Amino acid sequence: MTAAVVDHPVEHSSGGGGLMRRLNAATAVLAGGVLALIGWFVSHVTLQDGDHGSNQVVLITMACWALGFMIGIGAFNGPINWLLGRDQEHADELFLAGKDQGVRRYFRFTTDHKVVGIQYLIVTMTLFAVGGTLAMMIRTNLITPKSHFLNAQTYNAVVGLHGLIMIIATIIMVTGPFGNFIMPIMIGARDMAFPRLNALSLWLIVSAIPVLLSAAFLGGIPTGWVGYAPLADQAPPGMEAYAVTIIIFAMSSAVAGANITTTVLTMRARGMSWNRTPIFVYGTVASVGLAIPAFPMFMASQVLLEVDRTQGGNFYVASGGGSPWLYANLFWLMGHPEVYVILIPALAALMELTPVFARKPLFSFNAAIVAIAGIVGLSVMVWAHHMYASGWAPDLNGPFMLTTEMISVPTGLLFLVILGTIWRGRLWTTLPMMATYAMLWNFIIGGVTGIYLSDVPADYALHGSMFVTAHFHYTLMGAGLTGAIGALCYWFPKMTGRMLSRGPALISFWLVQIGFNITFLGMFAVGLAGQPRRVVTYAHLFATGNFVSTIGAYLIGIGMLFLLYGVISSWRHGELAPTNPWGAKSLEWTVPNPVPLENFEVLPVVTADVYGFGEPVSVPEELPATEPATVGAGDSTVLAAPAGTES
Amino acid sequence: MLSATSERSRRPEFRQIFWLWLGMTVLLVLFSLWVPARLMGPPASQTMRDVEETMTVFSVAASPVAALVWSVAAYSLLRWRDRSGGQPAEDGVPLRGNSVVTLSWVTVSSLLCVFLLIWGLAEMTTTNASAEATNPLVVDVTGQQWVWTFTYPDQGNVESDQLYLPLNRPVVFRVTSEDVIHSFWVVQMGIKVDANPGTVTKTSVRPDKLGVFDVRCAELCGLRHADMETSAHVVSPADFNGWITQNGGHV
Repeated sequence: MTAAVVDHPVEHSSGGGGLMRRLNAATAVLAGGVLALIGWFVSHVTLQDGDHGSNQVVLITMACWALGFMIGIGAFNGPINWLLGRDQEHADELFLAGKDQGVRRYFRFTTDHKVVGIQYLIVTMTLFAVGGTLAMMIRTNLITPKSHFLNAQTYNAVVGLHGLIMIIATIIMVTGPFGNFIMPIMIGARDMAFPRLNALSLWLIVSAIPVLLSAAFLGGIPTGWVGYAPLADQAPPGMEAYAVTIIIFAMSSAVAGANITTTVLTMRARGMSWNRTPIFVYGTVASVGLAIPAFPMFMASQVLLEVDRTQGGNFYVASGGGSPWLYANLFWLMGHPEVYVILIPALAALMELTPVFARKPLFSFNAAIVAIAGIVGLSVMVWAHHMYASGWAPDLNGPFMLTTEMISVPTGLLFLVILGTIWRGRLWTTLPMMATYAMLWNFIIGGVTGIYLSDVPADYALHGSMFVTAHFHYTLMGAGLTGAIGALCYWFPKMTGRMLSRGPALISFWLVQIGFNITFLGMFAVGLAGQPRRVVTYAHLFATGNFVSTIGAYLIGIGMLFLLYGVISSWRHGELAPTNPWGAKSLEWTVPNPVPLENFEVLPVVTADVYGFGEPVSVPEELPATEPATVGAGDSTVLAAPAGTES
Repeated sequence: MLSATSERSRRPEFRQIFWLWLGMTVLLVLFSLWVPARLMGPPASQTMRDVEETMTVFSVAASPVAALVWSVAAYSLLRWRDRSGGQPAEDGVPLRGNSVVTLSWVTVSSLLCVFLLIWGLAEMTTTNASAEATNPLVVDVTGQQWVWTFTYPDQGNVESDQLYLPLNRPVVFRVTSEDVIHSFWVVQMGIKVDANPGTVTKTSVRPDKLGVFDVRCAELCGLRHADMETSAHVVSPADFNGWITQNGGHV
């Protein structure tokens, strides 16, 4: 780790790469397609017989696709070279990092964490676009009690796909783009601890997207996103798409989790003690750390499901000695930690940016960490509150009510941290800050409605109704997605080098937030009145509420299009961003735009935390400083005090 | 808590936020008293009446909390917003935390949490007590794609696709499924339990209102999940006995 690594002349860096020079997304699709065809042909010829033939063929074809895709992108080149004892030249590493490859590096197995971050952002936005379109189809169908816009089969397929796509999108929406692009710079690292694993986690998700979308042509996912067995056992081969997607996604999240955790544990800049590590870093680690025990449960549930579906394993089929409750438990052992996998980094991003725009230190940094730790700890002990009404172990309903209600204490503490930060601040109401305020509104509603659902007798009345749907949209979308959009508006200048133009984003903010509240307040009303979830038609009693919800949903849809337009147009020809447009103090705002390949010419030394707003500048220990001054940080707002004052 | 602090510190924002908080709390309490239970409709059992009471009580209890968050947020936007349009010229007050505030916050939220828990456990106890009533009517409920079947084992196995219940007699439902998971939900009675293949789950209620109520499936169960609904008729004991004998059963 010396400054020398950036001094290599360009001609050296463009020489390496070897076979990797020839591999990109196109060869990946080609290899995936060819292997899938081979897999399909061989399995089709050999496995025609039996009850499960078509499921087996689909499963093998999908697995072959994923394997071929990963071979074609070059995911295995590094390990194979190591096994064969071939050394990687420095030039090979530079090629792999995407040096001097322009746009092409985004279509390769590129290890630069900033490239991976942008790739994650594009993947996330693509998933949201597809999932959002499906949401519009659902709401359009529900505009009247019996609209017949979609038939029942299509409707169920659309509901399941919407759910699963949105869950995957929200899981990666903060830790993917910002955890990869921003977080390493924030801690003063030159890259992630395992850059190849970083690219691996991204391309695994990319390989899973065609698998997931193929469900639409294989009978859909008619089980909702939960994929409850034994309904999943009798579902069409779209269910294989679900299972394979989740198995790949679990691998991806395990890889990403190990990578991010190791990076934060080992690669923080000199002087960045735990009490100087920004809260967003904590949020990211908490999220991926929680995913590490959670997703294997989901993976296991799907492996067992595939044994059921392709081999007649009967894990979940009661008539064969299995139990549907086994699936439900495995699923929710993932499913409840997962909502905090989504929420914690989004809230942490808002906690990171709120001090910048309140021009105040984060209120009670330690409380924020305790709260995050408390949520992580409790979230693995609450899963069966999804199963109060299932009939499984009714005696456990009381204990699970206890753990569920306890989680409101650390969650409430996060509200205090943000309110305390806002308190007597100099509030600069930029778009990211507006996201904080929108979260404060939405997450209160999401949290309070969660309290009703935590109560066992009330849950008996509300479980499986639209009330639940509205509740988790208020948390995952109203708080989670709002936080992610705030993070996007905040870090957009660093990630793209351009300012996000305020106009479209502002219109989008109001349309989305107003539309969101209309949609889901309406949904609370019909849920209380007794409308079940996931129904294609409903009683006339619920007509008004559903009509209102659909109108609100269209506002969200239009608003999201404004945001998409704003992001694309600003990215292409927005105003060039200064190094530190917000006057923030964290390290990512000290590196120039566009961020150089190695991030820091000289690794920074941290002498204070990043929240020293309003504190006396005469005390140099209170401010982060670099030694010597970071090259390229020419903007006068980068640091309020002369750098390099530490001696 | 807030008013005490306002007297101590004599800062104007405490008083103003207090009034804002009080106003919002009053509005939210009024909302809590009127809206949630009303949206859930008239209850047809004590169980549902308890649920609606819970909704109201929890809403009222949450009102001051929500009002506190929203009033501080609203006040900050009104009074502490920098209107220069760019980066504020000065920074805010460098408050790094306040252990008294943090401890009070955690204490109050923990107490609220304990209240919720005690309330819920008490409610569960009364529900369980009513389930153990003597001489209940037993109804076997079977879900299958996509119909409900109700069987009365003690009345000569009378079978029906509509649910008939006598007024004011405790009922125990023994619920199972022929195929996938369904969820047996009598909306206005506030009871729900999954119908699982291969297992029998139980729920119980004492209907105390004459009328026709909704039975729905609350777990996605395939193609025609939305149509898997029927009616629960609560009738007088005499009418119930008449219906049983009419359908070949014995009383």
